Amino acid sequence: MKRYFLLAGLVAPLGACMGEPGPAAPPHDEWDDKLNDRVVDYGAALRIASLRLTGELPTLAEIDAVANATDEASQKAAYEALIQQYLASPKFTRQMFRFSQDFLRLGDTPETDTAPAFLAQVIVDNRSYLDVLTASTGTCPTYNAMTNTFTAGTCNNGTQAVGLLTHPGMLAANFSNLAFRRVRWVQETFACSKFPAEIAKEPKDVGGATPYTGTFPFDSIAGAPIGRVNFKDTSSVICANCHSNLNHIAPLFAHFDDKGLFTTGFSVPVPLPDNPMVAMSDYLPSGESTAWRMGVPVTDMRGLGTAMAADNAIAECAVARVWNWALGRPDIVDAAAKVPGTTIETQVADFKSGGYHLRDAMYRVFTSDDFVRF
Amino acid sequence: MRYALLLLIAGCTTEIVDSTTTGHAEDPYTSLEREQREGPPRYTSRLHSCAKMRVATLGNVLASRGVNLAATQELSAGRMYRTSAVALGAANYPARTRENIELGVATASKIFDIYVQAAPEIIAAIPVRPECARNGQPAQLFDSSNHCVESGFSCLIGTRATPQHLAVCNETIKRANDPETGKQLAVALLAAAAHTCE
Repeated sequence: MKRYFLLAGLVAPLGACMGEPGPAAPPHDEWDDKLNDRVVDYGAALRIASLRLTGELPTLAEIDAVANATDEASQKAAYEALIQQYLASPKFTRQMFRFSQDFLRLGDTPETDTAPAFLAQVIVDNRSYLDVLTASTGTCPTYNAMTNTFTAGTCNNGTQAVGLLTHPGMLAANFSNLAFRRVRWVQETFACSKFPAEIAKEPKDVGGATPYTGTFPFDSIAGAPIGRVNFKDTSSVICANCHSNLNHIAPLFAHFDDKGLFTTGFSVPVPLPDNPMVAMSDYLPSGESTAWRMGVPVTDMRGLGTAMAADNAIAECAVARVWNWALGRPDIVDAAAKVPGTTIETQVADFKSGGYHLRDAMYRVFTSDDFVRF
Repeated sequence: MRYALLLLIAGCTTEIVDSTTTGHAEDPYTSLEREQREGPPRYTSRLHSCAKMRVATLGNVLASRGVNLAATQELSAGRMYRTSAVALGAANYPARTRENIELGVATASKIFDIYVQAAPEIIAAIPVRPECARNGQPAQLFDSSNHCVESGFSCLIGTRATPQHLAVCNETIKRANDPETGKQLAVALLAAAAHTCE
């Protein structure tokens, strides 16, 4: 009983984070005072911005341009002009390739480097970030580190591209039983959270030691007696808390083999003797549709990319990743470096209203009040 | 009490939604302790962290201040840099591991070692580096009296060197056994300190 009370207490406020108004702002406290005590230092900000955006220290002339400005407004103008200059520099291209490798946690092999090259190209060309989820061509460019340029490339893995969701290098690097590793990569990379992806407002008792907290109906995924893996097992943890989402997405990724090539049938195994190929009945019961989220059914990879692109969490995640990178904070998922919605709500709104251009978002972050105060 | 603590840490964010229901979540007491020490996310998320300088960036900084990264001598800065990727926290993407930007003692020590070895090359190169020119004139790290000069150290640390920077620099030279050793120590010290955090 105690455990249920505890989980209900945890789940209720977490559920409130999902697309509903958050809790009221906490009263002014010591932490607000500390934030207010920060002072503007464009010189320090320039050094950090230069290292992040160009991978180099600012030149003495650049340092002087900011330091010799006679007042704060002139310093601000000089600083912002240099940020624009950095964003237009060929060295920014090099930095974006590295940023993209870390963003995607992919690279350093010819097969995988075309994925960060595509993301970097989208940023450098100031295209819509949503192209990484929806672009149908050109998703396998190559990056030349000597010239800091991209060469257009098509993935040619047997299917029309859907952004990076069908990237063969990504799919091969994340090949696994039931394609779950690919789904986890998608979730953590583009939605910035680990599974479980959705948490219901009201936990449901399903006969286990802890309640079921997914948003899909508990019986919407495969389990005994249908399916060879019992995702509805409740004897230890509640598998369905994560698998309610995992199983609704994974079938879309199961069509790609260990080299990332598309196959009409399923090409990922089930961890059973002789490693048989997975079947739809291993994921979902008959009649259940694949889906990005509860209430967002999708029938194919293009539908998934489109649904993800329409999800506010994807835009928030992209801005949060840029925010953490700019401020030198560790990874939002790996290191749980949280970025509360209130911290970046203006940045996210501008990102969306401005056409999802990540390079523009970087300019706004690097010139934001928080970035130039220490 | 335990429930109250857990409820406290279940603060609402739009990004990280770890749940104790999965068995994969961070220990809530660790999370609570960290928040009490560092501040809540609404505070920490708006501050610069002290991120370790990325491996590639460190190489760029060294090269742009005159260090030969292709050097092959055993204790040369270039060789130390080239062979220290793991110690410097480089990424391992085939193992799905991002670059580690959290600064540990071992990594900081390695970076300082590199700057110590790099100091003679930096001292020789700063006056001829185009990045360090001011109004067409070369920057100097030291004047003829072995005092530290603002232009050279500004270029080394990437921001306008303050009187405090120069005081520490001069004191390091003064306390060394001889001026040349002091200059090398001063360059390594200022560079390592300034670039402790990217």
